[in-house]
Amino acid sequence: MMTLTSYLMISTFLFLCGLVAVIARKNLIAVLLGIELILNASALNFVAYTRFVNNNLDGHIFPLFIIIVAAAEAAVGLAIVIRFFQIRESIHIDDATQLQS
Amino acid sequence: MDNVIFIISTILTVGGALCVLLTKNIMHACVYLLTCLLGVAGLYVTLGADFVAATQLAVYVGGVVILMVFAVMLTGGPNSQSSNKFGIVKIPMMGNAKTYIIGIISAVIFGLMAYKVLSRVITSIQAGEAPVFTETVEKIGFMLVTDHVLAFEISSVLLLGALVGAAIIARPKRGV
Repeated sequence: MMTLTSYLMISTFLFLCGLVAVIARKNLIAVLLGIELILNASALNFVAYTRFVNNNLDGHIFPLFIIIVAAAEAAVGLAIVIRFFQIRESIHIDDATQLQS
Repeated sequence: MDNVIFIISTILTVGGALCVLLTKNIMHACVYLLTCLLGVAGLYVTLGADFVAATQLAVYVGGVVILMVFAVMLTGGPNSQSSNKFGIVKIPMMGNAKTYIIGIISAVIFGLMAYKVLSRVITSIQAGEAPVFTETVEKIGFMLVTDHVLAFEISSVLLLGALVGAAIIARPKRGV
């Protein structure tokens, strides 16, 4: 049961859920949740490949950096969301039209 | 034992991701993301990556999801008052059946993860031998400051930049 294929299927499912959340949801925070799902899918792929293919620990380093980048991205993204809410009193994604000239 | 952890983690991960996608309430989506990340941490444990699983729990479940919940609460809007149709301030519930079921499943998977990590120590204590540690923390720490030291330093600069940038962006307007 615990084969490389099953882990890759789980990772693909996570990636698809994240992608659909980024595309289809109309809430800015939900879009950020989708980005977190996509980053987790990639990190899971790294760990699965390093366990089943070459079994060194390089694949454990990359998820750490992915987690670091995701934390930084969440901090900056949520700061932008809060600022956007202060300006427009909404976090609906169709209200973000100020950069369209 | 591994199969049990794998099945529960897969159910948590897949179900959490689907519920993040399908639920309408953004606060519920944050809680489902928490269960999904907990399942991913369980999958890391089944793959033998204990340090990555611990980091996932500490940073994601303890940090990012709490940040998301705070952002949801700060951007609630004026129409999200907790009063019913009679104008009486409603007492928020301490969760319903779904909340408790998810909590029980999370407690079970956390216990299984702790048992998996400590099982070698437990069995060797029972057998009267010295515990065999096969954790990856020492090797990962060694690799972080030798092979990947440039990425390590760059990530520290990135975190500092993100901290300062978030503080500047979310700062209220001057003079207001």
